[in-house]
Amino acid sequence: MSNFSQMIAEEEIALVEKPEKSEPLGLLFWLCVGWIGLNIIGAIFANVLPLQNPQFQDYNALNVGPSLHHLFGTDDLGRDLFARVVYGSRISLSVGAGSMLIGFGIGSPLGMLAAYRRGRFDTILTNLMYVFLAFPAIIATIAILSFWTPRSLIKIIVVIGVASIPLVYRVIRTATLNVATKDYIIAAKVQGATDRRILLRELLPNIAPIGISFLLIGVATVIALEGALAFLGLSVLPPTPSWGNMINESRTILQQNPWLAVFPSLAMCLFLLCLNFIGDRLRHHFDVTEVKL
Amino acid sequence: MSPDNEKLLVVENLATTFSTAGGPLPAVGGVSFELMANETIGVVGESGSGKTVLTRTIMGLQQRTNVNVTGSVLLDGHQMVGASEQEKRAVWGTEVAMIFQDPMTSLNPVMRVGKQIDEALRVRLGMSRADAKVRAIELLELVGIPSPEHRYQSYPGQLSGGMRQRVVIAIALACSPKLLLADEPTTGLDVTIQAQILNLLDDLKERLHMSVILVTHDLGVVATRTSRIIVMYAGRIVEIGSTREVFSAHRMPYTRALLESSPKVTNDPHTRLVTIPGRPPNLLKLSDGCSFAPRCSFATDQCHKERPELQDADEPGHAFACWNPLPATRKRTVKTT
Amino acid sequence: MLLGIVFIISVGSFYLIHLLPGNITTVIEGPGASPSNQAKLYKLLGLNKPLFQQYFIWISNVLRGNLGTSFISQTSVASTIRAALPIDLEMMFLSQVVAFATAIPLAMRSARKPDGWLDRIFSAGSFTLLSVPSFIVIVLLVLFVSVKLGVPHTGPSSYAPFNQDWIVNLESMGLPTIALAIGSFVVYFRVLRSDLIATLQEEFITMARSKGISQRRIMWRHAFRPSSVALLGTAGVNIGGLLAGGFIVQYLLNIPGLGYTLIQAINESDYLLVQGIVLVVSVGVVLINFIFDFVINIVDPRISRE
Ligand SMILES: Nc1ncnc2c1ncn2[C@@H]1O[C@H](COP(=O)(O)OP(=O)(O)OP(=O)(O)O)[C@@H](O)[C@H]1O
Ligand SMILES: [Mg+2]
Repeated sequence: MSNFSQMIAEEEIALVEKPEKSEPLGLLFWLCVGWIGLNIIGAIFANVLPLQNPQFQDYNALNVGPSLHHLFGTDDLGRDLFARVVYGSRISLSVGAGSMLIGFGIGSPLGMLAAYRRGRFDTILTNLMYVFLAFPAIIATIAILSFWTPRSLIKIIVVIGVASIPLVYRVIRTATLNVATKDYIIAAKVQGATDRRILLRELLPNIAPIGISFLLIGVATVIALEGALAFLGLSVLPPTPSWGNMINESRTILQQNPWLAVFPSLAMCLFLLCLNFIGDRLRHHFDVTEVKL
Repeated sequence: MSPDNEKLLVVENLATTFSTAGGPLPAVGGVSFELMANETIGVVGESGSGKTVLTRTIMGLQQRTNVNVTGSVLLDGHQMVGASEQEKRAVWGTEVAMIFQDPMTSLNPVMRVGKQIDEALRVRLGMSRADAKVRAIELLELVGIPSPEHRYQSYPGQLSGGMRQRVVIAIALACSPKLLLADEPTTGLDVTIQAQILNLLDDLKERLHMSVILVTHDLGVVATRTSRIIVMYAGRIVEIGSTREVFSAHRMPYTRALLESSPKVTNDPHTRLVTIPGRPPNLLKLSDGCSFAPRCSFATDQCHKERPELQDADEPGHAFACWNPLPATRKRTVKTT
Repeated sequence: MLLGIVFIISVGSFYLIHLLPGNITTVIEGPGASPSNQAKLYKLLGLNKPLFQQYFIWISNVLRGNLGTSFISQTSVASTIRAALPIDLEMMFLSQVVAFATAIPLAMRSARKPDGWLDRIFSAGSFTLLSVPSFIVIVLLVLFVSVKLGVPHTGPSSYAPFNQDWIVNLESMGLPTIALAIGSFVVYFRVLRSDLIATLQEEFITMARSKGISQRRIMWRHAFRPSSVALLGTAGVNIGGLLAGGFIVQYLLNIPGLGYTLIQAINESDYLLVQGIVLVVSVGVVLINFIFDFVINIVDPRISRE
């Protein structure tokens, strides 16, 4: 009778899973995608777009509020806040994208290989990564950046990227382990498919949803981290605008011109919110069990 | 204590429907039966026939928002269908208690077993901490757990499956319920332990004067331990009668198939068990006819088109739902090929 | 394991000095460079010896509580850290108390009726807050509470030590506590809620219900403990981020904790002080993590047996 129950179980799985899988992503999801896209375009084409020069100081218009001419108003040096926010996204986005490129570029192949190969390779690598995970990554980042002078965008990207490797490794390894022990992968192995083929054709597509949603949430985390570093004076230095150092600079004249704090904060939070939302929706859409960051 | 001829439980036209992504799923589709005080009734059927859902509905444990229950369950005068959680809480534990299918999951893994027994005693019976502990240790002893004072302090993870099920039974018995619902109490255990647990239940039932609904998908289990048997298929009762009648004079082909597919000690070695051909129906796409028809060798056109209702057999209390029943002969020997 | 990690941290902190560009002694000593200072530094760091010997000289100094003397402020690094540390501990303690005290009851409410209107509000709210970094929270809080509303003792530089004026101390801790608590609350709420929802599906919860005990009791006695493992794990991991958030808050409000000291040290290129703070904080975080792991084992006897 056990095969009956098994069949029932299979039937049930088919019944429950299918409708959920095709659950639409929803309008809000696409709005968020659109907003992220808009930000990326803005960041890439900032010097082509009809924006004012973010460094130009208009002494006739210091600390003016939002108007048609200055969409977000100007700062205490008369610089156009809108242009600065758009230019500022360049730093945030390149830190987010660049460091996650490093983190995923190194962490995910290692994680996949370790989970697929198992054995000594896996044991050693995993233990090593766990030691690094116990390390407070944020503190390490702060420490290295404060000693590794002079600071530059590349160094920030490298440090954050390398610091994220153990975390990426762990998530990807766990996800791959879940898939690699499934019957169809074992079947493919038995049928003599090459490792390369199994890794790229069978495993990669299956862990991609987890990877992507984790990537998005990772980018959001890193952007927030860059903001924090900017506060500590460890990110790019003014006058180059970044969302973080704009918010940091604004606090000295918070009383006269609160817009200076509000607009970059808004830009940052909205961007992070969209990233998190997309990541979260994707995870639900592909019915992935919660992976904690 | 209720006299033996009093009806403890009256179930009438009970139906439980889950609304699922695939549409309404009638897990229990119109079940009626009665249970006397101090009686043990067996409920048998294949996996997925709705046994668990039936017992949980009787107890009113379904809490999910996607479930719809109709009909009536009168339990010692308490209507369980449509009762509020608070009303049911007053009945749970003291009037009716349940033993769950899998002792590995039905105990709280991070609570000492003693506390889990105590809890019912203190909350429901208002016992003091000290009294409850004494009583809990008595209960552990009653269900045959060696060195109960020591086990009182154990976490479920430190006990074997059989031990855990004994603890579950102790919890169920804590407030001396009149009705015990035992949902496949031995499925997760190995064979020697199975017999021990079932014997324990028999013994306790006699000593504590309870009624028991014993659910299983193994007819061998109920043969000697129940006075009556309910055979379920696709959420409905397809045959009901005294244990003797159901075993020796069953009328429904499904009952026979079920009997033939259960291993018996009396079988010769290497006897091949007959499996029931086909698979249980998809409850989302039930036909208008008899649900068993697609798998039944006696099925006629009528079977596929019209659902047979329960009809009385010769013996009082014996009923079956079939258009083409097996002939009403006594002493049917179950054929094993 | 613990010793291994602490060892690696010490090596890392030690090596930080060598990331400095140019001549280490002149960079570290800054304007205070003099032959006698140079000699002190050589004695402390064992410069000019092979790297691993330098490490042993340095670590034996550290183990005796000697983190060196800052050449910028001429004070001992260890005593500077000892003075600042209680402020960080107070900030962390207060914010965690607030975060747990709000996250636990709200998660309990949400999980009781998942997808009910209350749950939807809490979940959407926490999701939005998830995307607001704590430095933005603190800037906006200062903007609205101390600048716009003018609540006293909440703005920058209003900190007073606890043993000097505890009322002002607590008042000045108000905004930092809220800012840090929000970040933790969001994470705790989400983790606990989803774990509670999963736990409530378990058979042993149905079993507990069938005893006829109240829903309140089921939530607190049966569902909470098995669901709190991930919560504790997250809390442990959260400490590092919390500290970093605390640094910024201290810097913004001129609260002289470790973070404030650290940032000043970075700006003044007081590298020995930075190194000392990094070492102390990293080891502290690792220790706290281990304490949390230990508590988890007590809370869930299932884990210690695996
Ligand atoms: N919460 C639910 N939502 C939807 N369908 C359900 C739910 N609970 C049970 N069912 C369905 O009800 C049917 C009957 O299930 P039930 O668990 O009662 O079978 P059973 O006879 O106890 O089987 P077993 O012998 O395996 O325990 C199954 O098809 C199952 O899929
Ligand atoms: Mg069942």
